[in-house]
Amino acid sequence: MQGAAVEAVIHGLKTAGVNFISLMPDSDFSDLQHQVASDKHFTYVPVSNEAIGVGVCAGAWLSGKRPALLVPTSGLLVAAWPLTSICMAWNLPLLLLIPYRGDIGDAFWLMGPYKDTTEPLLKVLNAPYSVIAKTEDISKAVMDAQGSTISWQRPVAVLLTGETIK
Amino acid sequence: MKRYDCLALLASILGPKVIVVTNIGPISREWNALRPSDANLLQVNLGLCAAVGMGVAVSLPHRQVVLLDGDGNLLLNLASLADSANQNLKNLVHIVLDNESYEGGGGLKSATAGKADLAGIARGAGVPSASVATTMEDFESIARRSLNDPGHHFIVAKVERGSVDKLPALTLDGKEAKYRFARYIESTEGVQILRPRYTHI
Repeated sequence: MQGAAVEAVIHGLKTAGVNFISLMPDSDFSDLQHQVASDKHFTYVPVSNEAIGVGVCAGAWLSGKRPALLVPTSGLLVAAWPLTSICMAWNLPLLLLIPYRGDIGDAFWLMGPYKDTTEPLLKVLNAPYSVIAKTEDISKAVMDAQGSTISWQRPVAVLLTGETIK
Repeated sequence: MKRYDCLALLASILGPKVIVVTNIGPISREWNALRPSDANLLQVNLGLCAAVGMGVAVSLPHRQVVLLDGDGNLLLNLASLADSANQNLKNLVHIVLDNESYEGGGGLKSATAGKADLAGIARGAGVPSASVATTMEDFESIARRSLNDPGHHFIVAKVERGSVDKLPALTLDGKEAKYRFARYIESTEGVQILRPRYTHI
């Protein structure tokens, strides 16, 4: 992920009021993860799997924090369990930021299946999403997604693709 | 040792502002009967009680948080012990009512009926205080000591299977639980959680 894209994500998160980040370390978000981890603006909770991350964020939101989960397309499948059993069952918000590995243009064969799973999974999880390919569009997309997840009380995702994750 | 007796003891010693997060199943029904309160977050689904409780404890470090967990529930997501240990929490008492079975799921044995030792697993995960109670005297002593000592405590209470007769039905679903708990936090913490119109833009 390029520096400008990282800065745009951070700016969007802060402007939207996000102050709590959970994530499982992932190569595509590593620069962003390092920044979030060292930025005192955010309460930072690294987790060992993305299902724990959803649970942590649910507890944080119910306690007055504004959480976001950074989750790769593979981890979204792990997160699907609590996105169903907590977020769908309880109608809880959650901002999901997803580097869209497996989108068209991703040259690594192992990522291919995630083109088949990611968007259909978000649809069945009742989680609307934006697909953002331009760095200049990141901040507003993050802010809009945060506004929608809080007011709708269901997860909303931003999928980052194209130049944003190169 | 009976689970209901352990919970009744806890209900008698916890202050009204202690936040209690419980797993789904008989523990939620019993706890709701013993300590009905909007400071309870009940019926957290299988494998997620420790994660949700961690989120609460991290977010409200000045509030004491008690987790009432089950052996099967925790076994599904053991890594949550390692993640919560790394938060160096000073406000968490994690109690596992270990009946060595999936009582809410038909009564088949869990791994703790075999070789699994949850207190040993917690210690290995980095939880600084992990104990096992097999009698009510032990449980009361460990629970009181843990509740009065700021830190991250993990207690396994070895209990029999089975509940009490005529337990009231728990009629709260997750959506209502969310509103009640969030409104309670809003009123006691002076924060706004529920925002039908989110105006940051």
